[in-house]
Order: sequence, then structure tokens, then C-alpha cells
Amino acid sequence: MLFSKECKKILHSFTYILYCALVILMVVSQYFGESDGKVYPPVKGGDDYGYKIEEDHDIIMSSATVALTTEYFANRYVCYPFGFYKAVHLNNKEQAEVEKYISELSGLDSKELIDIKNNSNIYNYTDGTHYYSDYNVMDVPVSETLTYERFTEIMGDVDDILGGGSDYAVESLVVRFSRIPMTYEDAVEDYNELIEDDKITGAYARLFSDYAGIVLAIVPVFVAAALTAADRRRKMNELIYSRKTSSFRLVFTRYASLVTMMFIPVFLLIVIAFVQLLSMYSGEKMDMSVMFTLPTFWLLPNIMTASAIGMLVTELFSGGAAILVQFVWWFMGLMMAGTAGLDGMIGKYTFICRHNSLGMRRAFFMNWDNFVFNRIFYIIISLAAAVVAVLIYDMKRGGRFDGIRLFGKNSIFRRKA
Amino acid sequence: MNEKIVIKNVNKFYGRKQALFDINLTIEKGMFGLLGRNGAGKTTLMKTLAVLHKKKSGDITICDVPVEKAKEIRAMTGYLPQDFSMYPNMKCDEALEYLGALSEISKAECKKRITSLLRRVNLIEHRHKKVRELSGGMKRRLGIAQALIHDPKVLIVDEPTAGLDPEERIRFRNLLCEIAQDRIVILSTHIVGDIEATCKNIAVMDAGKILWKGTVQEILENAKGHIYTTNVEKRFLPQIKKEYIVTGMLAQTDYVTVRIVSDAEPDLPNTVLTEPDLESAYMYCLHSNGCDVMGGEE
Repeated sequence: MLFSKECKKILHSFTYILYCALVILMVVSQYFGESDGKVYPPVKGGDDYGYKIEEDHDIIMSSATVALTTEYFANRYVCYPFGFYKAVHLNNKEQAEVEKYISELSGLDSKELIDIKNNSNIYNYTDGTHYYSDYNVMDVPVSETLTYERFTEIMGDVDDILGGGSDYAVESLVVRFSRIPMTYEDAVEDYNELIEDDKITGAYARLFSDYAGIVLAIVPVFVAAALTAADRRRKMNELIYSRKTSSFRLVFTRYASLVTMMFIPVFLLIVIAFVQLLSMYSGEKMDMSVMFTLPTFWLLPNIMTASAIGMLVTELFSGGAAILVQFVWWFMGLMMAGTAGLDGMIGKYTFICRHNSLGMRRAFFMNWDNFVFNRIFYIIISLAAAVVAVLIYDMKRGGRFDGIRLFGKNSIFRRKA
Repeated sequence: MNEKIVIKNVNKFYGRKQALFDINLTIEKGMFGLLGRNGAGKTTLMKTLAVLHKKKSGDITICDVPVEKAKEIRAMTGYLPQDFSMYPNMKCDEALEYLGALSEISKAECKKRITSLLRRVNLIEHRHKKVRELSGGMKRRLGIAQALIHDPKVLIVDEPTAGLDPEERIRFRNLLCEIAQDRIVILSTHIVGDIEATCKNIAVMDAGKILWKGTVQEILENAKGHIYTTNVEKRFLPQIKKEYIVTGMLAQTDYVTVRIVSDAEPDLPNTVLTEPDLESAYMYCLHSNGCDVMGGEE
């Protein structure tokens, strides 16, 4: 009874309507924009068949050495610890260590490295806040005596110096640095995988989840926050606090209804996508279940985590602070979505999993273990966040806690002062 | 089961500020009035009874159940806060159904009670109206209905008549009296008229302390010999207000009849010792307990 009433409440809220509109807009403009044409077998004699990821040690060593040298020259290393963007700047001692490793990788000494730096074109760019200069390093040789084992050791050490989450992390090397152009034969194989292994729907399920995952990592936080804040905003909290029901039952029923309601439009879009595939590929053999199971496993943790965080933050903070924290989440979400856009790049802790391609099945399955770990990790995180939200709710209900305030008369900063 | 509330030596703090000082009260079945000025600590005490606030020390039992057993207390307590509302888009019966679900009442039972309660609070014709369309008085009556949805043994009502028009206030008081026939009803208010019309037993609070407890008759007795009336010319009013606690003024053609609370007979012409009403008795109670009372001050 309570579950259905909470669902009805969500259904009538403005934030939920906005949520539905954003999800539909994202999926329609991105996924349906790309999925409306049938994929045909590649034509022989084409110029570009895309690229593939294949574990080629020579390519990995060469590309990684160039990339590391480029970042070393600028002393700006892009890392994604726990999936979040971070530009790392090293001190002189750490830079010297990296230089030592580059010398070992390339067989070049300091003077030769400086020559490469001086001969490289500099291009400047800005992210809107800072101006950066990067060196367009064209070629750095790889030492002939370097073995792949030693190379991976060096890369591991460099990743440690950078604090983890860099492109040089051993588990990222293949996906990051071993991209090679596909031949016609490769393209045929990729197409055959789509038809035979993915049974068509598998590939489309990944593309659907990729696009929907971006919006579902961010927007549910606002719906959850709005629902959680509604009691106080509507002066209804004391009427609810004084009820018999347990805090656990109340918070978890609300959580379950939020997740259910936010999954409904996603499910309907999956159905539409599935019907579209049925009409496009009529006569082909399709996997009827994967179009539903994969997006559910992929996207539900996003909704669960963002909802739990929305509830937790709103319970923990009062007034403007909750809104501020939601915007921090929004910003981080956008940053993650914008930077993790490579195919098959699914880290263990990257909140937004991406695979922005219909093909490249092998690249995706190369990270399958990471993907499964990642999704289960976020389900656990979300449940843990919901349990903490229950504890905080219970404290507020019994008058033992009134939410952290960052602004105004009862701000934590003022109290300390 | 012992149908009473026993409050023993209860203290409550907000941070370092003490809000309740050693409160001792026993509240039995029927209407009980808690009278006090704004900021006297009435709401704090009400919320402590409704398990919305945690006391620092002391004991509270409601029908023999210690207040620490929050779930049991919540099951037997109905609470109507001073400042409340409901989801504006919900219809009256939907709002009650929602709160009934939170009180863990079965759907069938809840529906039955909603109809009976809406009839009782005279809102049956408005059951499909949205909460935002209700007047202030209707909202309060809906508030009473929600507090009674789980048929509690205790009803705690905090300043329920503030802002209501006289007709609605009378209707509300009568409703509370009816409800109090088979349960404990605690009415917290700063409006003496509400207490006078409904309660037999009362307590007077000020600055977090209980100043007085007993029956209405007893507080009237207590004020006997300290309430006077006098007829004075209008021009002397400011001076009288400055010197005495004035609890009432009735303008006549060329003079004003003034009601005064005083320990000794005022040194004014035509002064007559008079029977106390509850308002004057309450003012005398505050005055005799050393509270700063300026009865005639506007």
C-alpha cells in the first residue's frame, strides 16, 4: 500500500516529469539517432573500417611511450582515480623519476629528450578555466632491448607515481594503447560477431545502455532529493515522523519506489528500441532476452546509486547545502560522462560505463570481469548509502540530528567559530 | 492498562540552552490544557511526548510504556503539530490513506476509518478536494483526522486554534471535547479561552518550567482576592497600565471599566474586589511566580 502511494506521489511530481523528459530526449536524440539504420556487411575497397583493439605489444609500447613523453613534457598527466577526472602535476623529484623511466623505455638520454621537446610543435588550449600547452610529440623510439615484461613494470611504477587511475595502469594498457585500424577482413569479422555472437540485440543493448547510462548517472539524484526534501518543504515531516512505521521501512519503500518509477521510462524505451530492431532485422535470428537483461544490469546500478546518493545527501544536509552537493554530483557526472567516452573502457570503479559503438564486441568483453565487478560494486554502494540514509532519517525523526547546514545562522562553520 | 501519562523530572536542552527544567506532571484521561506564553516550552514538551525530541534526563511513561520505546509510543499517540501542512496535490482522503499506511493500518480498515473520521470532523463532503483547496480551519480539522487515523490512546494537539475565526474555533474546541471522552487529549495553547472552554485539568508553563498544575477551579480559587475592577476616566489609562497588571478593559460612555490583577487592593477610587476569570487567574499565576507580566501593555 505504501509502495503504491509513494509511486503515485513520484508520478505526480514535477521533477519526475522533468526526469522522464530528459531521459527520453537523451535516448531519442542519441541512441535512436544512431540506431535507425540497419547495419549491413562491409563493402570491399572502403577507405575506413574503423579501428579495433588487439593486444599487440609493439603498438602498446610505442603508443604508451609517446603518450608518456607528451604528458611528461607538459607535466600534466590526466588520470581518472575512481573514474573521476584529475590532472596530476608532479614535483621535480617525481618528474626526474618519470624521465628516468622514459629514458629506459626509449633508450634516449636527457639531452636527446630535450631535443625532441624543442622540435615538437606546441599547441595551446583551454578548458574554460585554465590555459594549457601540450607538445605534439610525433615519434619517440622504443628501446630495442626493452621487453614487454619490463615495460609493464615501468608502467605500473609510473601509475603509482601518478597516484593510480592513469592510462599507464597495467590493466588499461591494451584498451588505451593498442588500437589499430581494421582491415576489410576485420570489418567482416566484426559484422559477423554482431550477427552471430551478439545476435544483433546484444550490440544494440550496449549502445542503448551507453547513452542512457550517462543521463541515468546524474538526473535521478534530483528526483530522489526532491522527494526526500518534500516532507520538510510541505511541512509534513512531523506528521510522518510521529507515525508507527519504522524508518527502515519508510526509507526503503521510498527508495524502491524511486528506483522502480525511474526505471519505468527506461524500460519503455527499451521496448521501443526492441520493436525497432524487430522491424529492422525481421527474418534475422535475434537474442530476445539480452535487449532487456543487459540494459537492466547496466543501468539499474546507475539509478540505484544516484537515487541513494540523492536521498542520503538531502537527509544529511539541510537547506542550500543539499542543493550544493547535488550540483557537485551533477558536475562530477558530466565530467565522468565527457571523459570516459572510449569504447570498452570500463574500469572497476568508473561510475559511468561506456561503450559507444555498435561493434567492437571483443573490446567490451575484454573488460567483462571489470564490468560485472563494477555493477555489483555500485549496487552494494547504493544499498549502503540507503542504509546510512535510514540511520540519519531515524536520528532526525527522534530529534537527535537536524541536518548539517553550510549556510545561515546554524552553519557548521559559524558554530565552530 | 494505566491510562495516564507520567512525566518525572524531565529536562531537555537545545545545545547548551536548557528548554525544560525538571518537569513533573501526571495527565489522566480527558482533556488536559497546557497553558503558557509563546516560547514557554509547551511545544518542546509536546514534541518530547510525541518522541520527536529526546529528553536529556527524567522519565516519561505513556500508558505504562516508557517513551524510549518509540515505536510503541508512536502507535498509541496521535500528534497534530502547530505548524503543519500536507502534500497540496493530494486529496483529503488520499492524504489520510497515505498517513494511515505509515501507521501500518490495513487498507480496508483505513478506508473505514477515513469515512468515519471525515464525517466526524465534518469534511465528508470535501473528501475529494485537494489539500491546497482547503481553508485554514478545514486543514486543522483534517489534521485532527490524520492524528486519529490509528485510533490512538493519546492525542497531542499543539496550538490548534491559532489563526482560526471564532466560529471555526468553537467548532474545533467542541470536536476536541468529543474526542477526549475516550482518550487522553493534551491541548497546548496560549489562548486562555480555549482552555476555559474545554479543560478541567491544566498546567501553566513559563520559561521551560511548570508554574502551576491543578484544575481550572483551583487556579480560579488561587487568584481569589487578587482581581479587582475599577471605573476610571480614559485619560488615566496610560498611568494605570504602567502601575498595574490590566487584564481587561471595557469602554463605557465617559469612563472605562478596568480589570486589574494585584497583590494588594489598588489605590484607585471605586475599586471593587471581583470574581476571577481564567484569564486574570492565569495572569495572577504568572505574576505570583515572578514572571514579567505587563497585562495592559499593547
